[in-house]
Amino acid sequence: MIRLITLLLAFIATIYLPWPVAALLALLLAPFEPFAPLALGIFIDTLYYSSGTAGFPHFAFLGALVTALTLLVRTRLRAGIIR
Amino acid sequence: MKRIFLARRNAVLSAADISWGAYALVFALLFLLFRLLAPNLFWHALSPVFGGADALASNTRSFFASFENAATLAAQVDALREQNAALVALNQALAAKAAETATLPSMGIIAGVVARPPESPYDTLVVAAGTSAGVAAGQEVFGAGGVPLGVVSSVSADFSRVTLFSAPGMRVHGTVGSANTAVTLLGAGGGTFVATVSRLAAIAAGDNVFVGGPGALPVGTIRRVDSDPSSPAVTLQILPALSPFTINWVVLRDTGAAFLNTLRAATSTPL
Repeated sequence: MIRLITLLLAFIATIYLPWPVAALLALLLAPFEPFAPLALGIFIDTLYYSSGTAGFPHFAFLGALVTALTLLVRTRLRAGIIR
Repeated sequence: MKRIFLARRNAVLSAADISWGAYALVFALLFLLFRLLAPNLFWHALSPVFGGADALASNTRSFFASFENAATLAAQVDALREQNAALVALNQALAAKAAETATLPSMGIIAGVVARPPESPYDTLVVAAGTSAGVAAGQEVFGAGGVPLGVVSSVSADFSRVTLFSAPGMRVHGTVGSANTAVTLLGAGGGTFVATVSRLAAIAAGDNVFVGGPGALPVGTIRRVDSDPSSPAVTLQILPALSPFTINWVVLRDTGAAFLNTLRAATSTPL
């Protein structure tokens, strides 16, 4: 439930709070919800990205990067004792 | 005998671990699809939400402002009273002038700002005027006092997206200092600019920066001059004349681009 609330807060923060708050929440969520940074990155760029602003949508790219890193770490770290 | 079942777990895609994130991803993709397929409807749906964000931001500002020193506030009230009296007189003069010029063609399209930094991570504004109001991509955007803010980068029927001159990657030519030294302003994000000029230009903090237009239009003020003894140039850190964080209304109009297009049509000489 805490994950869901944090995720909702992160989405709300993209509109109602300065963007670093949303970015921080996305990073905090990443270990528990690997796809959350990607989802938030796409959401932010859907709202605010304009082709005249930057060469590519930075936030979707950074979100994808964090998601990929998180998934990579998950595959490398096997917490279970049963193989 | 009690049997224990150990479910096989996938380290990457475990339903228990990623469910909310995956739902959020699907939601974000649908949201993106909505914007791509129906941009005008998208902004119609979003503008009340951004309106709520604006109200929240202004209420927060006034809440924190109420903690300021009472003596400072009293002085501010006195100053505002004087300004108010001056503005009432000016308003009467302008109302008379507006009545006279009501029949003249409009000098631009007035639009309310729907979304602005810092909620927007890029230096962009979303304004509530689109093609139906005569907005076209490439039009220049001005704030209060004729301060140039940016250019229209994309348009839908009722909304437009404005890229501010302070956005990273944007370049604007202007002048600085009493000698009108030419500089190229580079967008540095957050409404600010940087520029490089020769050390000999003797630019100091507090000097105003202007860009071309109908006369010299103020775009910012030099906050700091960074100097490296080994370099013949200095770097200027420039604050905007109008903070993009507090803009509520803008005026959009064609400037140089439309004029150049007219000239191209009128002459065979390459420009």
